[in-house]
Amino acid sequence: MAAQLPDMTAATLTAGAQDPLPSLVSAGRLRWQRIARALRLWVPGGILILLLFVCFVWPHIYSIPPGDSGSILAAGEPPFSPGHWLGTDPNGVDIFSMLVYGGQVSFEICLAVTAIGMIVGGVLGMTAGYFGSWVDPVLSRVFDVLIAFPALVLVLAIAEVLGPSEMHLIWALSFLSVPGFARIFRASTLVARQQPYITAARLSGTSNWKIIFKHILPNVLPGVVTFGLLFMGIIVIIEGAVDFLGLGIQIPQPSWGAMIAKGQNVLTAQPEYVLIPSIVLLIFVMSLNLLGDALRERWGVR
Amino acid sequence: MALAQQVQLQRDPGARSDIARRVAGSPALQLVGRRLLTAIPVLLGVTFLTFVVMNLIPGNPAQLILGINATPGAIAKLDATLGLNHPFWDRYWLWLDGLLHGNLGISYSNQQSVNSDIAQFLPTTCWLLLYALVVSLFLGVVVAVLAARRPNGIVDRISLAISMLGLSVAPYALALVLIYVFSVRLGWFPTISNSLGNSPLTAIRALTLPAASIGFPLFAVYTRILRADIVEQMQREDYIVTAKAKGVPPWRVLVVHATRNSLFTLITLVALNLGTLIGAAAIIEPIFSLPGIGAELINAININDLPLVEGIVLVFALVTVAGNLLADLMYTVLDPRIRYGRAAS
Amino acid sequence: MSNALLEVEDLRVAFAAGGREIRAVDGVSYTVEPGRTLAIIGESGSGKTVGCRAIMGLLPVGTVISGSARLNGTELIGLSDSQLRKHRGSDMAMVFQDPARSLNPTMQVGKQITEAIRTHRKVGKSEARDQAIELLRLVRIPAPERRFSEYPHQLSGGMRQRVVIAMALACRPKLLIADEATTALDVTTQAQIMELLLELQRDLDMALIFISHDLGLAASYADEVVVMYAGKVVEQAPAKRLFGTGGTVKMRYTRALLDAIPHLERPAHAELPVVTGRPPDPSALPVGCSFAPRCPSAADDCTAKAPALAEHAPGHRWACWHPCENGATA
Repeated sequence: MAAQLPDMTAATLTAGAQDPLPSLVSAGRLRWQRIARALRLWVPGGILILLLFVCFVWPHIYSIPPGDSGSILAAGEPPFSPGHWLGTDPNGVDIFSMLVYGGQVSFEICLAVTAIGMIVGGVLGMTAGYFGSWVDPVLSRVFDVLIAFPALVLVLAIAEVLGPSEMHLIWALSFLSVPGFARIFRASTLVARQQPYITAARLSGTSNWKIIFKHILPNVLPGVVTFGLLFMGIIVIIEGAVDFLGLGIQIPQPSWGAMIAKGQNVLTAQPEYVLIPSIVLLIFVMSLNLLGDALRERWGVR
Repeated sequence: MALAQQVQLQRDPGARSDIARRVAGSPALQLVGRRLLTAIPVLLGVTFLTFVVMNLIPGNPAQLILGINATPGAIAKLDATLGLNHPFWDRYWLWLDGLLHGNLGISYSNQQSVNSDIAQFLPTTCWLLLYALVVSLFLGVVVAVLAARRPNGIVDRISLAISMLGLSVAPYALALVLIYVFSVRLGWFPTISNSLGNSPLTAIRALTLPAASIGFPLFAVYTRILRADIVEQMQREDYIVTAKAKGVPPWRVLVVHATRNSLFTLITLVALNLGTLIGAAAIIEPIFSLPGIGAELINAININDLPLVEGIVLVFALVTVAGNLLADLMYTVLDPRIRYGRAAS
Repeated sequence: MSNALLEVEDLRVAFAAGGREIRAVDGVSYTVEPGRTLAIIGESGSGKTVGCRAIMGLLPVGTVISGSARLNGTELIGLSDSQLRKHRGSDMAMVFQDPARSLNPTMQVGKQITEAIRTHRKVGKSEARDQAIELLRLVRIPAPERRFSEYPHQLSGGMRQRVVIAMALACRPKLLIADEATTALDVTTQAQIMELLLELQRDLDMALIFISHDLGLAASYADEVVVMYAGKVVEQAPAKRLFGTGGTVKMRYTRALLDAIPHLERPAHAELPVVTGRPPDPSALPVGCSFAPRCPSAADDCTAKAPALAEHAPGHRWACWHPCENGATA
């Protein structure tokens, strides 16, 4: 046996101790991994904060032209004109202002709908997932019915019934968000419910509602938040679609969808009327998606 | 059935009932039956909701049809003809009864039956959606497999970036951009197409841009999910490590082992997405003036043609429910674990 | 030059995760003679599995491996994947822990075996099928022709593991690594599989490395034992030296493992001397001896400098500043 021992033995016998072995993975690679991870979170997050700032704070700091009216004299100005840094539309309305005020509407609708979805959908979904028995099948069927309609069609129908306005659009979109979030809450609750510590809590006599809010909710939240961010992107696109069809926010109130629709008429000659709001919309939704992805990575949601 | 079993059947009639019992007890069929049963209340709910929402629209349909100058008498007469003066539940029953016989009612605007109206416009939409689906699925699988070959490699990163774009873009915005680049600037495709033309070539030319507008977001979803599934299989599943330990070349491991198992997820995803697919048609068709039922729906909404809207919305919802059901069934039936019954242990 | 089948020298494996470096294997060396059985024993996280997977080339891309592992004189570390593939499944094979998950659920069992054959040999489909059925017979699976077309879920756990072994033996490897191959099985099946492995080893003149956390298995079946902790080898000796009558166990960790095995002879209700604490975090290994935080006999020099693995007695190596005195083993 002795003949087969590697040479290292002789050396280490004399050394008697072992120094910590040098690092194999380069420090540079580790540092880059850390930086990239932080960037993936803060770049989209930063963009969203910037957009929020521009839409809601900037108009109060710096006065901008109105977004719903303009003088014919200033019609059709190209970008970088004095006083209208993104130009004006064929009616003389300032494009940047339209983006800002349209953005306000989109943000408001998107946040309101998501909030309603999370709260109402959350309660319903957790109830269905936790209590089971007859509550679950009944609620699930109701959600299935709502989800059976293609999103746009459902929203169109409801908006049609209620009449076009921001509030009504929020109601209509909530018919999408409530079942959507309810499903996510329900699925996560079903999983969380199996955990041993939940059984322990029930055995120790904790009331059901306390279990739901103190134990199940914190576990369900990461998945819901990441889903919520992606869902917000979908809501913005659908809301834009309704406006695009002329069945949502009515002119002269500005909205990104309506801007794109109006731009259709002059697409051949002046594509920027379509391009500018489309790009802003794209950036907004992409930031939401990227942020959702980064959070999902950080919180380990599957 | 294996030859041995067939022979046994002929010799032993008792075996026939045994097989019947085994089929009836087969977990796959039981699941199928159960799924079908749960679909029924959903379908009923769908018809009810459609009817309710449509009938809450303010304004008297008879008045809208006859116009502003209609006399009250004419309105009342049309009301009676259309059956609008009956109570709500009676009208719902009548409609539901018609549905069960396959009759979707008469359109207000052109007095045609809704069935024939839908039949007229459905084919265009079907071709459009088929085109979008096939191309996005094919590209999605190819890109996903190539990307999964080396996670975080060049191909993977590019595909993730492109699919992020596809997930974030609004289909209507994309449609207009495509029109600008390929129609206005390059002239490769027509901007609007009132019909699909007589030859496959004109049809493809007419449908390519709209199919791309619908297909690009779809492609993004498929690529993402399939790639994630394949990578997960490759990294987490033990049978993949076993296959590698056998010395199987990486491509074969990827395609024969991992992708095969991931395709289940993809097929389920496709079936679940049928509803979104149809919804997209409603917004893309008007942009290109395609004569499909999506465009027809928007028209019908704008002129308040109730039966037409109801009929089309119902068709949409039915397809979505069917898609979900199909996804459920495929998942159950295709999985060999369920097909062959419980394990021998 | 020795005639060892596998020579591992200063093997080190590390990878980056979450911005930290994880040192899974931190300088491991051992040798395996042809036809002999080596047991690698350790807790989960000791690096025993990672080390063997590194030799087979089964670690994910981005793992940094250094050191040497020679199979029949051929250096394996540093080979490209396509070169390693020639050895994987033909000269050396591996069997894994959970047979339910080691087999592709949507592929027939027989096809998975023929795949192993046809990857390395140019053999026609029907001949491969015959060979596969022979292999199934070799691992004592009854009615092999029928089993060939069945799916994994149709077989019991023990039979599944036999199939996995058949797959591994497809090309008559000289080295078989069994990574916790019996951990997921019940005790009776465990014994059956171990007996099968040893019989196959004798019949096919194969070297066997089996990885486990179960010292009892090592005592019963191994020729030589390597004990690992926190990525390093802490004790290494022929099994007889460690476990036989008058045998000696030197390293505190091995001693603790032995003591923790429940015995029938102990008085009823006596407390089991379990090792307290948990293995160290592989991304933040302590400066001194890795076992010091949990060792009942740790002293100051233990936490200051890590003891080197050295042959303090013929054939018996250990890494401990204060090894156990000669005492009776379990």
